[in-house]
Amino acid sequence: MNFIFTEDQMQFKDAIKSFLTDECTPKSIREGWDAKKSFNLDRWQSLFELGVLNSNLPEDKDGLGMNQVTLALMVEEIGYAGLPEPAAEQTFLVNDLISILPKNISKVIEDSFDAGAKFISLAHPSAPNPLFLNESAGLILFDDSECKFITKDDMDFEMIPSNDPSREIYKINSIKNAISSTENFQELNSAVSARGALMTAALLIGLAQKMIDLSSAYALDRTQFGKPIGSFQAVKHMLADVAVRIEFAKPAVYRAAYSLSENNPKSALHCAHAKLMSAQAAELACKNSIQVHGAMGYTWEMDLHIYMRKAWSMMACWGNEDKQQDIIFKTLSSSSEELGVLYTF
Amino acid sequence: MKIKFTEEQNTFREEVRSWLEKHVPQKPLLSLDTKEGFEQHREWEKTLNQGNWSMVTWPKEYGGRGLDLIQWLIFEEEYYRAEAPTRVNQNGVFLLGPTLMEFGTHEQKSKFLNAMATGDHIWAQGWSEPGAGSDMAAIRTTAVLDGDHYKINGQKTWSSRAAYADWTFGLFRTDLDSERHRGLSFILVPLDLPGITVRPIPQLDGEPGFAEIYFDDVEVPVENLLGGDGDGWKIAMATAGFERGLMLRSPARFQQTAAKLMELYLAKQDHCSPIIQAKIVEAWAQSESYALSIYHTASKMLAGDSIGSESSLGKVFWSELDHMMHQTALKILGASAELSQESQDDAAKWIKGFMFSYAGPIYAGTNEIQKNIIAERLLGLPK
Repeated sequence: MNFIFTEDQMQFKDAIKSFLTDECTPKSIREGWDAKKSFNLDRWQSLFELGVLNSNLPEDKDGLGMNQVTLALMVEEIGYAGLPEPAAEQTFLVNDLISILPKNISKVIEDSFDAGAKFISLAHPSAPNPLFLNESAGLILFDDSECKFITKDDMDFEMIPSNDPSREIYKINSIKNAISSTENFQELNSAVSARGALMTAALLIGLAQKMIDLSSAYALDRTQFGKPIGSFQAVKHMLADVAVRIEFAKPAVYRAAYSLSENNPKSALHCAHAKLMSAQAAELACKNSIQVHGAMGYTWEMDLHIYMRKAWSMMACWGNEDKQQDIIFKTLSSSSEELGVLYTF
Repeated sequence: MKIKFTEEQNTFREEVRSWLEKHVPQKPLLSLDTKEGFEQHREWEKTLNQGNWSMVTWPKEYGGRGLDLIQWLIFEEEYYRAEAPTRVNQNGVFLLGPTLMEFGTHEQKSKFLNAMATGDHIWAQGWSEPGAGSDMAAIRTTAVLDGDHYKINGQKTWSSRAAYADWTFGLFRTDLDSERHRGLSFILVPLDLPGITVRPIPQLDGEPGFAEIYFDDVEVPVENLLGGDGDGWKIAMATAGFERGLMLRSPARFQQTAAKLMELYLAKQDHCSPIIQAKIVEAWAQSESYALSIYHTASKMLAGDSIGSESSLGKVFWSELDHMMHQTALKILGASAELSQESQDDAAKWIKGFMFSYAGPIYAGTNEIQKNIIAERLLGLPK
């Protein structure tokens, strides 16, 4: 038992943090909003060149062979920065699926990886609106019974507005041509659901942390009654409550990542747990952060909502709190002898 | 990262389990807040000690097993699984013991640690006073050095276990001109000395778990001072850290409650609305998270990290969780939630636990104080 990160893992986390601190500032995000083009091709190219986008591909496929735990740590930082490009909820998910996708689909996709920083979008009933289709090479589409791959030219799609201007989302109007398969569908579908929950959970941890950091800084800076508002207990306690929820969501995310990397049969349960805990932490972070900011928090000008909007989307996609509770309840009530003190590990 | 137990850890678990299966009393002991129950629990401490299980994390030189934190967590999991009796000497074994090892003299260690382990000395806490609760630095009980002894005058209150305990440890003002955190000393006091009056306070559950202690010219030998004269605050903070941290609130306790709650729900679900389901899920999810977090922290500590204010995060979390789980149990029980006599669904046990869960957010430093600590020391907000 050694529930701890390696130095290498922490270095990856720090490296991406330092890149994003420079390259993914609130200012650059807002520039994307104003230009109605949140996908920053230069930043995406840099992420590709740094090896980030291929990090969880196997080494023989030009990746770093990064496991889920390191990936989750990195995704936390991606969330913290509010990165608009879909590294976590599209690219990393697709990379992970490659090895288990039906052969006819994976072959076509692998061919398209030669195109460098191009990426494949992904849609699933729990996250039905794929991101940034204009920049992508194609779409993996899950419905209730089969998995399809459609190249960009083989479909007609249109952008639909998202409440988060950083997220360019699309709906598919018609499909001219698709490769489809029902092979291995159940396994594939549970794998993608669990990974989607984990990726969004890790993003939410980062987003919640960002919100509490912004709020703590604001509470130190803003004075009323002649003192920083952060010296009032009512304000302190709101932020402390968020810190508590983040602290106890994090290990759930790391454990879920570890379970996936070990092919633990309970990884679906563990991913649901991770998403539930982190969605709750983020939800409280939104509520209490805007309250700490007062009327400023309700403005477009304050940066808080960059992260709040992303958090709302991440809570909703890949299984919201209600869906995760349902998964957990069904698992636990069908095998109650595996609940409790001796079944955590 | 490796989140699974090793062979050795699993073997250790089996050893603990088999010992507990042989030794845990078949019939539950009487409440440790009654005189008779207290003595039964003292006997259990002796039994534990005979098996060398009473203070497993203590170093071998003090009679412990020198177990690391992961082994301790395993021990605790088995302890709760076996539904073994509450540790009547937890103030001693988990709080004063580690404090003595860090700050005590050789003589103090040899006098107190062994008697603590055998259950001969059961310890009470002596922190709070009528005017010093959350504001512990407002302590006014004095201990005046007079030759080879301190003369103590004043009053302590909310002293857990003091109704029947043998000794108390606490903070006393040794420098009468001092204020706040300065001039306090950590002194160990036998409760049978002349001039001491212990007045048990009936708790919410009707039993006398804590007590007031009155000191009227009580003479305590100077050897009973722990650390230096005036070092009391620093030492007490270390003790409080042990209390809030890992040693007393092992995750097994909450996971066991969550598991029992699930059992109760499955037995009674036909009488419940679907709203209860979400609470059951919360109970599992939060107790699971608490366990993961404790194993994460224990691993970090084994790798050389120390924990400080982080323990305040845990204290808020587990105490709110414990209350939520007991509230939920009472909702499932419906009208039988007012039965204080043993019934089929263990209603009385749940009700007792429910009442006790109100104490969690108060003892070991109220949750409001913990949240101040979190905001000031972890988030950097001003005092």
